[in-house]
Amino acid sequence: MKAYLKNAATAGIIFGIITTFLFLINFIGTAADLIGDITKSRPGSSILGLSAVMFNQLIFLGLIGIWAGARGSRKDSRLEDTWKHVLIGGALAGAVHGLIAGSLAFLVGSLNTAGVKINEYLSQILPEVIRIFLLNKTPLQGALFYLVFMTLMGMLGGLFGRGVLRSTWRKNIGARRKELWNSLTHHEKVLKIRANPLTRYVVYGLLLLFVFLMPLQIGQYWNYTVGTIGIYVLLGLGLNIVVGMAGLLDLGYVAFFAIGAYSVALLTAPTPHNLQWSFWLVLPIGIILASLTGILLGIPVLRMRGDYLAIVTLGFGEIIRILSKSVLLTPFSGGPKGVFNVGAPTLFGKPFNSDVNFVWLITLGCLLVIFVTNRLQNSRVGRAWEAMREDETVAQAMGINTLTHKLMAFAIGAAFAGLGGILFASRNQFTGPEDHSLMVSINVLSLVIVGGMGSIPGVIAGAFVLKGLPEILRQLENYRVLFFGVLLVVMMVIRPEGLIPGSRQKLELQHTDKSQAPPDTADASEGSSPS
Amino acid sequence: MGIHNAVKNIKSISAYQVIQFVIGALFIGYILWRLNEILRVNPIYGPDTWMRFAIAGLILGSVYALIAIGYTLVYGILFMINFAHGEIMMIGAFGGYFVFEALNAIPTPTAADPELTFLSAQPVISVLLAFIVGMSVSALSGYFLEKIAYRPLRSAPRLVPLISAIGASIFLQNAGQLLFGAQRRDYLNPEVLTRGNGWEFPVGEGTVILPYTGALTFVLSFLILIGLFTLVQRTRLGRAMRAVAENKPVAALMGVDVDGVISRTFIISGAMAGAAGVMWGIHLGLVYYFVGFIPGIKAFTAAVLGGIGNIPGAMLGGFFLGIVEAIGPPILGLSFQLKDVIAFGILVLVLIFRPTGIMGEVLTEEKV
Amino acid sequence: MSIVLETRKLTKQFGGLTAVNSVDLAVPEKSIFSVIGPNGAGKTTFYNCITGFYSPDAGEIIFDGKSLLGLTPDKITYRGIARTYQNIRLFSNMTAIENIMVGFHSQMHSNLAEAILHTPRLKREEKEALEEGRRLLQFVGLSGLGDHLARNLPYGAQRRLEVARALASNPKLLLLDEPTAGMNPHESSDMMHFIRQLRDELGITILMIEHDMRVVMGVSEQIAVLDYGSKIAEGTPLEIQGNPMVIEAYLGRGAASGLQNIAEKSV
Repeated sequence: MKAYLKNAATAGIIFGIITTFLFLINFIGTAADLIGDITKSRPGSSILGLSAVMFNQLIFLGLIGIWAGARGSRKDSRLEDTWKHVLIGGALAGAVHGLIAGSLAFLVGSLNTAGVKINEYLSQILPEVIRIFLLNKTPLQGALFYLVFMTLMGMLGGLFGRGVLRSTWRKNIGARRKELWNSLTHHEKVLKIRANPLTRYVVYGLLLLFVFLMPLQIGQYWNYTVGTIGIYVLLGLGLNIVVGMAGLLDLGYVAFFAIGAYSVALLTAPTPHNLQWSFWLVLPIGIILASLTGILLGIPVLRMRGDYLAIVTLGFGEIIRILSKSVLLTPFSGGPKGVFNVGAPTLFGKPFNSDVNFVWLITLGCLLVIFVTNRLQNSRVGRAWEAMREDETVAQAMGINTLTHKLMAFAIGAAFAGLGGILFASRNQFTGPEDHSLMVSINVLSLVIVGGMGSIPGVIAGAFVLKGLPEILRQLENYRVLFFGVLLVVMMVIRPEGLIPGSRQKLELQHTDKSQAPPDTADASEGSSPS
Repeated sequence: MGIHNAVKNIKSISAYQVIQFVIGALFIGYILWRLNEILRVNPIYGPDTWMRFAIAGLILGSVYALIAIGYTLVYGILFMINFAHGEIMMIGAFGGYFVFEALNAIPTPTAADPELTFLSAQPVISVLLAFIVGMSVSALSGYFLEKIAYRPLRSAPRLVPLISAIGASIFLQNAGQLLFGAQRRDYLNPEVLTRGNGWEFPVGEGTVILPYTGALTFVLSFLILIGLFTLVQRTRLGRAMRAVAENKPVAALMGVDVDGVISRTFIISGAMAGAAGVMWGIHLGLVYYFVGFIPGIKAFTAAVLGGIGNIPGAMLGGFFLGIVEAIGPPILGLSFQLKDVIAFGILVLVLIFRPTGIMGEVLTEEKV
Repeated sequence: MSIVLETRKLTKQFGGLTAVNSVDLAVPEKSIFSVIGPNGAGKTTFYNCITGFYSPDAGEIIFDGKSLLGLTPDKITYRGIARTYQNIRLFSNMTAIENIMVGFHSQMHSNLAEAILHTPRLKREEKEALEEGRRLLQFVGLSGLGDHLARNLPYGAQRRLEVARALASNPKLLLLDEPTAGMNPHESSDMMHFIRQLRDELGITILMIEHDMRVVMGVSEQIAVLDYGSKIAEGTPLEIQGNPMVIEAYLGRGAASGLQNIAEKSV
């Protein structure tokens, strides 16, 4: 078989499996709804004899089909990128894709007509879903339709790939755009403005003003969401110190969050202890408690190797959760039901009761944490952390007491998490065991990794992408965690450094103008020939 | 000279060793006190109950041993924790579940029993089929897991494949939930293997039941363990696996197909997890998307207990953990609700005292 | 000349294997002292014992008049011993100058609270470290490359950066582990000059493991030979070259003339 045909068939099979999977988890139906929302098509209306839902579903499937065709007709170094190859390759990929999708349609359609209750086993596949997938036709008709449809889409994809993705004019446009961008950003005046320290203050001031004014405008729901994002920024920055800077993979990070949340809950709520302390008094107590727990946990476990540490911390997080909901500790912790009426802070006699107030408070917390992180990053301690992450043995040989520094990282990270937990419980006026599941640790880890380990803007971006986007795309709620999983794997394979990787500050040449002192590379390359 | 050395030794004891000693002494003291309490002072359980605990523990332990070997095999070769291993087990459990459901849909009516289905009419074939299918889907998942999520990261820093594995674990779990729903499903066994049925022995004043499902689980996993041991020690593939574990570049130079060996390791460990999944379903009777997670972590604990990378160690660790889980709560005076806490607690304790596991050789720090 | 480092009957075993067997060594202050021996002779284990990564099973290590036994590697660095590694081990995702500043760790004092509060003392300390770091970069001939990531530097530059990082901890004794490994003859002779410069200008005692006989014979003042963990010879380069036991250890019986030739060429 010719190489390009094999390539096309493989792409067809892979996309067939993807389409099947997306159908089985009913992502196709959800995507159709989403497209309906975006295009504002009325559910009852019909287009080309199809109901709006079916039409939108075909749009989605068509896009996958085109993608399959584009992949299937992909050029690689051995293959010729001729129009004929592209068309045949795309068609073959589409046909294989269509064959799999069609077989799937035929199978579920026939089972459905035979009266098998598929959704008893595959919970998403309701008869309605099957009906829409088959476009109201018989299983055989539906199967044939998909075979033809996907073949056509595959050819279209092939043409699209050759004519748009790999075309020469597109490369030219890309190059020109880059040129334009460079000429803009490296323009003399722009550089001058950027070099002026005043610019920075103005930008920060504007940002601050925006952060202050925004909560007043966006309403309760979005304030709640922004507050949650803010708390995840806090948690992310804390974990960033532990994982990103010190290189300690902590999967039980939620434990410190839980300790913060429970300390504010148990000390301020009327039940179970009726202590009703002031929030401002509890705030430092909670943070210190969290950080002490960090140290106490750290002393035994921080001597372990990286991957053992991950599992032990995970176990510790689970222990805290199981204990908090166990019968044993119910009189103390409120048990599985949790703690209600957690106290809110008051300022000058005015209680914090709206989400606006909490957004401000959380933003303040974030700013504080960013400030601290930034200071630490460029200090003796921060450098020691990074050295440990890079090579623990050598770091120790540089005079770094690795255990103390690991404990410091754990304590600071735990303190941030404790702060996050306090704010979270206080804002929600509630905390319970299910607020502190393993998923919180995983979410925070994901956002740190997706954003970029060791990078403050990265963590903030990660929090917005992972906690903010799902709020905007609410239909996709069910698929969020699945998406996290895929994202973690894909990020590790494609871009392990994250969306906004940390950049290193320029230290050696920070006071001298770069253009006047070009790096003395000749001197170095002279001694460079590794055998 | 002796005194001189002794003084020096005392000086070199760190605070950490003191903490170790104190924790260890407290723990052992507490266990001795509890043992005295429940065996002599206030015997709440008769010998029959202890026997029942022990049997339950051994059966559970044999399942843990199967899963633990998967961790150990992969760790031995790639030095990474295959975090998604528990999910591979879940897939196997679902495989067996669907085989049983499908076979139960085939009617084979007889004069005596018009309701009889293939599942109960041919239990041996049914169980065999369930294991074949369960092990195959798990093996396949293991193969693709390695190919998609781990192979591109072969030369990356250690944290990277671990995070990828966590991602794969989350993905598989949620895919399971989205596909099969969040509800717990009853595992439909052939009638002979109805849970609770078994051989009865009189012990002390009561009787102890050895359930058929348990016996099946124990015997089968023992056979699989022996098979695996033979495979690793006696066959060409086993030799290649050991060579790759020892030194990948050198193995490659000797003509061993390293990628192929790694793939096959994942297939083998996947198949064993699949078998464990089917056993879990048959013996304990529940299957759902989260079914693999906790056993996965516990089996990892077992692998660490036995010294990760060490195959007999993983077996022993599995049995040890199973038994501790069964008799630990009554000995420590805790409710069975907290048995997971005990398992994790043991993991933490073991790693505090022997970071390389009970049977793990003390690895010399790679050339400093 | 006083003795800066002394080992007495130093022994380290792994299981049944005695990697270092009762080694006595005395390194005079401000000398260049080489430890040589065939592969697997226990040289790196010997280093690891001195720097505290292994705790010896028997014997004594005395540095600057005090015992090093029982000290962790970081404490030993504070006493004034620094080292480089056989296979370069830089902090590869940090810049060259950051690598050096990590080396200053033992010379700096700021703690967590000071870092957050940015006290004047901390600012001064950071500034001094930065300036000192730039000076060290210049000393090892890497000025201008300070802001490059360590892993992006050329091989020879990485070797020198590793030395600069070690120097940052202000050591009395510098342990070099095969400093010319993987270098061509031209680079090796550069490195030899550099090693002499270290001793002459900074007054640091150098203890060196090296395989390249040209370098060993050319730069060392004193040589100890290890074989199967035991010291089989010690002396000046000339004495070692003529020692039949050494030649036997390297090349087996009867190959003495071969090494003789190499040694003669190198001097």
